[in-house]
Amino acid sequence: MTADAPINGQDAPQSSRIPLYEGSTQFRHWRFSPEQLAETRHSLNIAAVSVIRDAFESNELGSSTQVSFLSAEEENLLVKLYLGKIPQLCGIFRFPEEVEATAMSYLKRFYLKNTVMDWHPKSVMLTVVFLATKTTNYPIALDAYASRIPKTAPNDVVDLEFLVAQSLGFDFTVWHAHRALWGLWLDIQTLPDIPLDDLSKAYDGALTNIRASRLTDAEFIYTPSQIALACLFIASPALASAWLRSKSGQGSDDGISAILEPVKAMVLTEGSLPDVEAVREVDRRLRLCKNPEKIPGTNAYNKKLAEKQRKAEEKRLRKAELQRKAMEDGDPFGSTLAAQNLDDDEDDDE
Amino acid sequence: MSNRPSGSSWLRGTTIRKGGNGSSASTRTATPQVQSTSTTIFGGGVKDPSGRTSEYFSMDDQCPVCKSDRYLNPKLRLLVSACYHKMCESCIDRLFTLGPAPCPICNRTLRKLAFTPQTFEDLTVEKEVAVRRRIARDFNKRAEDFPDLRTYNDYLEEVEDITFNLINDIDVAETEARVARYKQENAALIELNIQREEQYAQYLREQEEAERQEREQRAAELRRLEEEEREEREKGRQELIDRLETSTKDAAKLVARSRAQAQKRADARTQSSAFGGAAKAFRGRTNQGAVVADEPHVPLADAWYAYDDKYAVRDTYFDPLSEDVRRDKDKVFRAGGYRVEEAWERALRFAVASLDLAPLQGLHSTAVAVEPPVISADGDVIMAST
Repeated sequence: MTADAPINGQDAPQSSRIPLYEGSTQFRHWRFSPEQLAETRHSLNIAAVSVIRDAFESNELGSSTQVSFLSAEEENLLVKLYLGKIPQLCGIFRFPEEVEATAMSYLKRFYLKNTVMDWHPKSVMLTVVFLATKTTNYPIALDAYASRIPKTAPNDVVDLEFLVAQSLGFDFTVWHAHRALWGLWLDIQTLPDIPLDDLSKAYDGALTNIRASRLTDAEFIYTPSQIALACLFIASPALASAWLRSKSGQGSDDGISAILEPVKAMVLTEGSLPDVEAVREVDRRLRLCKNPEKIPGTNAYNKKLAEKQRKAEEKRLRKAELQRKAMEDGDPFGSTLAAQNLDDDEDDDE
Repeated sequence: MSNRPSGSSWLRGTTIRKGGNGSSASTRTATPQVQSTSTTIFGGGVKDPSGRTSEYFSMDDQCPVCKSDRYLNPKLRLLVSACYHKMCESCIDRLFTLGPAPCPICNRTLRKLAFTPQTFEDLTVEKEVAVRRRIARDFNKRAEDFPDLRTYNDYLEEVEDITFNLINDIDVAETEARVARYKQENAALIELNIQREEQYAQYLREQEEAERQEREQRAAELRRLEEEEREEREKGRQELIDRLETSTKDAAKLVARSRAQAQKRADARTQSSAFGGAAKAFRGRTNQGAVVADEPHVPLADAWYAYDDKYAVRDTYFDPLSEDVRRDKDKVFRAGGYRVEEAWERALRFAVASLDLAPLQGLHSTAVAVEPPVISADGDVIMAST
């Protein structure tokens, strides 16, 4: 290796190299500011309400006036309740923490792109857990999975699977805070004079906090290492600050501490399950304002289905026509690709 | 072959037929048939190691020109033209006796002498062998003729290129021009290499001869030694008998001493014959030529920063989480190559990854473009933004 050939990353200055976390899809696609998060949810809610109102209106004129639609906050409340059900579900199957955390991330991400008025979290929750078992390499047979959940057929689980995967943008890898906490647990052992008893007590406390943090939006705003450290700070400020001092060396750790403050606050204030009574009220209203196009048996649903079939038929005919024309032209595979205008645009996503 | 008119059979040299039905051939021998009026010598074909041309032959042969087949004419013999089309001998006689004429299949002008016997079932193989043989005659440079391995490989690549083009009829004119140019440019070297080749063949022959002589010599030597040994043994026994006759010493001692002497002689013999063979084993590997230094491989490195200066992995930790994996004596958990050190390293990396990354603030402070949900034409919210 010659000195004048800086091909190797080792020789490149540290500043020009991209930190690994910033290459992750979590950083690139699922990182928001609190304001952006609120804005995204709000605009999604408005768009969804207008679509569903149209569906009601087209079914029966004026029928949407007495329906009270859910607000973004109410939607979030409902999602949060079902987030809390995921650990229970994983407990039944004895899935590892990895599956549980991944499934919760998926559910949160799914409802940044969809509304509960279209897809009820009760069914989406089952699908995200099943999807998470596969993406984290703890696969379970679909029949075995569905048979242990009451009133659930295998098809209920897999029907939504592609929709979920598509909504996630196929970003299946999630950087979890509990792994960062494991790293903290290991690294704190290298510090001098740390009694193991204190450490394991702090670890257990921090893990509880991390589980609480999964109910919050922390992972959309902060990095997993920040969340883990903040959770450790709550459990044992002494250990956490000792570790942080050892990491920052001569430089001051004020910057990081300042970042951690709002994380701690978020975990402590938002990291609890919502009041069941309030959610029950939301759920009762949801039954009335559900998108009629997504409920099997309703007029709107049937109409939508017919529309979809008509479109598919149209597309098939168009394709057959093109093929026939191509056969007549003498080339069974048709002309060049650019000449064909067989577009798969509008009706491919649900 | 014996039923052929003798006038043509000796001219044809030693062409044997393969693939034919032996029993039917033997019944035909009783009735000699004149099958060709031609006395032309058809050369070419591919020779096997014994120097004979084995000719391809099948029961389904049919002349594509006159459509006569083996049923009509059991002595049907198909030959291959320069343009790789098959024709039977009588068609060749009919068409080409009066001089060059166009091929009835592809219209290329052919001569009678340019037809060759078919060796392979597949004519493309036939063509490939012919092309390769022709190219190898001119493109006979060796690794020693090049300054380094790279240029030699480039040359081989070029040769393969030309061969491929000729076999598959790609840019034939241009390729032929390349071959001609090469021939002209390297005439001296080609000549030299042909000579070298001959010298090498000569050397191989000589070496073989020398080895054969040596083997014979060694066998003679061995025979001589055996003879000597036998004589010696005989002499020793005679001596012992004489001594036992004349001496007054103990008979058993005398016998033991003479045995020991005989053993010593035998040992000396085996030692001397063990030499010699080993010395030749290394002779073959002398002139290998200078080894070209291959550049060291530089792996492609990416520009990712994995926080490796922020943590150090220790050899061991107190870690109940990975206890089961580490304790696992049968290595069932680790069968797939799982190493707990790597899991530790990953966890440590997670703990320090982007710890100082400031969270985003405000609505537009970001590189991440958050698009408002799009409503599609049919009134559905488009979920995935892609």
